[in-house]
Amino acid sequence: MDPMAAIRETFFQECEEQLAALEAGLILMESGAAEAETVNAVFRAVHSIKGGAGIFALDALVRFAHVFETALDQVRSGTLATTQAVLNLLLRAADALADLVRAARENGTVDEARTAALVVEFTQISTHGHEQPPTPAPAPPAASPAWHISFTPAASLYAKANETALLLRELRRLGPIEATLDSSRLPELSELDPEGAYLTWNITLAADCTELAIRNVFEFVEDDCQLTITSATPPEPGLKPGDVITGDNGFSFEFFPPPVFDEEEAVPPPPVEPEHHEPPATPLARQNPVETMAAKAESAAAVSATIRVDLDRVDRMIDLVGELVINEAMLSQRVLEAGIARASGVAMALEELEHLTREIQDSVMAIRAQPVRSVFQRMPRLVREVAAQTGKQARLVTEGEGTEVDKTVIERIADPLTHMIRNAIDHGLESPEKRIAAGKPAEGLVRLTALHRSGRIVLEVSDDGAGINRARVKEKAIANGLIAPDAALTDDEIDNLIFLPGFSTASTVSDISGRGVGMDVVRQSVVALGGRISISSRPGQGSTFTLSLPLTLAVLDGMVISARGHTLIIPLGAIVETLKPKAADVFPLDGEINLIHLRGGYVPMVDIAASLGYCDELIEPNQSVALLVEGESGMRAVLLADAIHGQRQVVIKSLEANYRAIPGIAASTVMGDGSVALILDVDAVVKTTRSELNRSESSLLEAR
Amino acid sequence: MENTHSGTATLALPPILDLTAAAAVLENFLTRRGKPLSVNAAEVQRLGGQCLQVLLCARAAWAADEQELRLDSCSEEFLAALDLLGVPPKILTYCKEMPA
Repeated sequence: MDPMAAIRETFFQECEEQLAALEAGLILMESGAAEAETVNAVFRAVHSIKGGAGIFALDALVRFAHVFETALDQVRSGTLATTQAVLNLLLRAADALADLVRAARENGTVDEARTAALVVEFTQISTHGHEQPPTPAPAPPAASPAWHISFTPAASLYAKANETALLLRELRRLGPIEATLDSSRLPELSELDPEGAYLTWNITLAADCTELAIRNVFEFVEDDCQLTITSATPPEPGLKPGDVITGDNGFSFEFFPPPVFDEEEAVPPPPVEPEHHEPPATPLARQNPVETMAAKAESAAAVSATIRVDLDRVDRMIDLVGELVINEAMLSQRVLEAGIARASGVAMALEELEHLTREIQDSVMAIRAQPVRSVFQRMPRLVREVAAQTGKQARLVTEGEGTEVDKTVIERIADPLTHMIRNAIDHGLESPEKRIAAGKPAEGLVRLTALHRSGRIVLEVSDDGAGINRARVKEKAIANGLIAPDAALTDDEIDNLIFLPGFSTASTVSDISGRGVGMDVVRQSVVALGGRISISSRPGQGSTFTLSLPLTLAVLDGMVISARGHTLIIPLGAIVETLKPKAADVFPLDGEINLIHLRGGYVPMVDIAASLGYCDELIEPNQSVALLVEGESGMRAVLLADAIHGQRQVVIKSLEANYRAIPGIAASTVMGDGSVALILDVDAVVKTTRSELNRSESSLLEAR
Repeated sequence: MENTHSGTATLALPPILDLTAAAAVLENFLTRRGKPLSVNAAEVQRLGGQCLQVLLCARAAWAADEQELRLDSCSEEFLAALDLLGVPPKILTYCKEMPA
């Protein structure tokens, strides 16, 4: 990749992080749990985005970030009180900033009217809560304040993709500048290093700003240039680093050089007003840089504890570990074939190797594991926007943000979650008036929870709305021809109808959800991830969508079985129990399908080999082993196989990617002997059986 | 890039004169050294400090060689960048005081 493009990409990655920090901080402030550091962190986030954007000349972004930053600075210094209105504005500004970043990244466009409106709001709010307007305040005492800046970039400045012209342009935002160039150090043309740096700029800046504001312009290049900033305003030029002030009481104080970090801006060393030079004012000014340095050291430590690695490298490693697992399985197979005793040294060493392989695999998977926080963090904004669009009041509560899941899963749950939350607000929550009438608080609650449960991640989206209107769902399903008018369905079955394609109860199609593709699409994408989705709803009290997903998409614990000579893998998570069926427990139903009497209930039996078309003849139940499996939303079936060979961890090799999708087969894997085995799609098999069964089942129940 | 008529070489500057362009621009100047040169900056969109160095150096070299260095049709962006960087366009050119 072109180095500039790579740097740009890094910038946008960092932007994402900063935006997440920004949003998290603002939400903390909103909840009242903010500390002083929270405000600083929020400010830093915007400031860093602005700084980076300046380097890439993303002017629109810089302009907006600047306005945003100014307001945040006022909040930080306490001149702007964080009322609900202000926080609201800040949150919306954070959304707008995210849009601007995205637009810059994708070369897209943003709703400029919206950004402009926010800028106007900011100016209004800052003149309101602020006695004097912030930046361009006319300086009372000094007639024409000016700064002399001598700036000598080093070659490393250019090498890091910074550019003098951009810095000067940034400087010009503070006030009119006049630059003169000192080119005396330029060598002869033939000796010129095109990537060297030989120039010094002497700049006069006519602006009433603090020295810090100027230093901030150079913040990102400070290590790569020589920079001196002197005030051109006559004597008493504020306090320069190194100045020592001694008060009447003998108290003396040396000024620290302004730190690179921006926290200090909260208490900018005032350049002119003389009363600030009195000793009592100084300890305050001093304390801050010290804190700043501490904070800087802390954040530096936090940064060095992580590294950024290209995802491709991790993926390659995972592939290789997958191969290692397969290889290890092959080795055990060979050892077994060689007839080496179980207690022999070879077998023991092999066992150790197996443990080690497993551990390596877990560790590699852990590299890809990420907290779901990154997805959860996008949701508050969604809730705000959807609530505003629908005229409802909604609050989002998230739990378990730290739950870790494989990165691929994280990337792919964002869309289904977005859909589910939209649905929860649009369809789940009632309007404030209705809620109050029902004796609930006007503000609806949407709860988003993540947790680990038996090797899977479970995500729940629940609302405290009206719950599913079952009568209407059923009516609609009949109207759409999805179910027979006389179908006898349990409440649960009715609730799950909303996952059927082409279903929507919303009488009006809104922007937000309810085009009748929503939950169907959600379900499809969840199933594609090897997950399940179900809903439980209580009228008047709300609905809960539960999404259960495998933690990783790369390996799977499976049961190895054989069916008519074919080796198949059944995901262990789907298996409830295994049993030897007795002929007495088997009841034929409707010719093709048998039911088995199991713990007081009847479960349909599926001959795996027959269902996959390996043979036409059904296996005799008493000649087979049975596996009771549970599909999504708890549908059960008994799978019949010839034999169970044991449990093993298999590496998932996508069938779609290597061949094509096959109904009833989820994926494939390579076995220890090098043969390819198919992984059964339990849900699909169970569902096919169930639908075949549906017609006859009710008649059977009546007969008993 | 180069075509010679009436003894004056020409050099068209690329649109983006940043760090990555500096070496090529320098090379272009070096190969045209010793002859009068007309530099065309009509396409320039962005000018960085390092290319400016090359331009300044080239001007000094052409002056030392007593060869004419002209700046033809500058783009607005080029002039704006020069202004920002505190470089009047005329100090990038060299005219022999007396015709040779």
